[in-house]
Amino acid sequence: MIEEYLAELSRELGEVGIRGQLRRRVLAESEDHLRSDADALERFGSPAELANQFAAELGARSSRRAAVSAFAALGAAGIVYALSFVGAAFAGQPAPDTWPLLAQLMLPIVIVAPQVAFVTGALGLVRTLRRREHVLPSAELAVINRRTSVALVSGFVTMAALAILALELRDVSASWWVAVTIAGASVAPPLLVLAGIPVVRASRLRPQVAGDAGDLFDDIGLGRTDPWRFACLVAGGVGLAVFLAAAVQGDPFDGALNGVAEALACLGGFAVLGRYLGLRH
Amino acid sequence: MKGHVDFLLLATLREGPLHGYGVVDRLRGASDGAFDLAEGTVYPALYRLEAAGLLSSKWTTGGGRRRRVYQLTRRGRTELARERKEWKAFSHAVEAVVT
Repeated sequence: MIEEYLAELSRELGEVGIRGQLRRRVLAESEDHLRSDADALERFGSPAELANQFAAELGARSSRRAAVSAFAALGAAGIVYALSFVGAAFAGQPAPDTWPLLAQLMLPIVIVAPQVAFVTGALGLVRTLRRREHVLPSAELAVINRRTSVALVSGFVTMAALAILALELRDVSASWWVAVTIAGASVAPPLLVLAGIPVVRASRLRPQVAGDAGDLFDDIGLGRTDPWRFACLVAGGVGLAVFLAAAVQGDPFDGALNGVAEALACLGGFAVLGRYLGLRH
Repeated sequence: MKGHVDFLLLATLREGPLHGYGVVDRLRGASDGAFDLAEGTVYPALYRLEAAGLLSSKWTTGGGRRRRVYQLTRRGRTELARERKEWKAFSHAVEAVVT
């Protein structure tokens, strides 16, 4: 009977994604418990419920830790990006319309990808900090893991595009800028990959816990409105900020074009990724 | 009881290290059967407390089998003292209202 129970528990643990050392530990402790008392089997609980409880607690803990470590890794990538971005102003680069084609193709990527990385990483962290319960709904864990994953991938894409940009501009930029950018863009990706391992592990857990995933308004806690109206408001604000920054520097026309592009990119991101990242229902 | 499982487990371990079955058995005995958990559910809670640094555990041998024994850490003792203080204040306040 005990052997049958343990075999069933082993299967159920595998079903919810618990394997390896942890599964062996759970089974060893369960066997010791069940053999300590002839009646313990009756009181131990169903294998499916017990496995689900393990996965639910471990899932919440793992997803939270993964989001925090990912944000730290993204912080390091962000420093690399900031150094390169600020340094570019002093690197003697020509106007982008004279750049090699590949460099021109990388430019929108190094503008959009880090914004995606920052926003999704921050939203993953906010949800993690706001929800400290031992167990979270499976749908909510999926949202946290997706936000963390998209943030890390966007960070990696940013670093790759930055390195390609620096290589393409090596003949027309200060050598120190090229060296700093490529060095930084080489150091950050391994940190992002390492931060991705806990996310993959957390995503493998499959607890069944009922509950809603929540949305962006649950994260920001400023009341609730139509999500598309809110997205338009944010996109408009971002576009206006880009325009004003360029206008202050004496280039309102370019600022207007870039502002419109930024606003459209914001709305496009919300449309494509909004439901996947739990920004809207 | 669900909201107080962690507190009860920490309190059960204050007298010394125990394995999972020992924790359940002591809890049942100390409460005269009032706290009778579905016994398997104690393990996710023990793992959670260990991950939080309130317990530590190690493998030993007992009854001819591998046995994982848990004990309070210093942090666990501090947390237990804090929760006992909160519980005393709470139960005192409830007592004052209902009597």
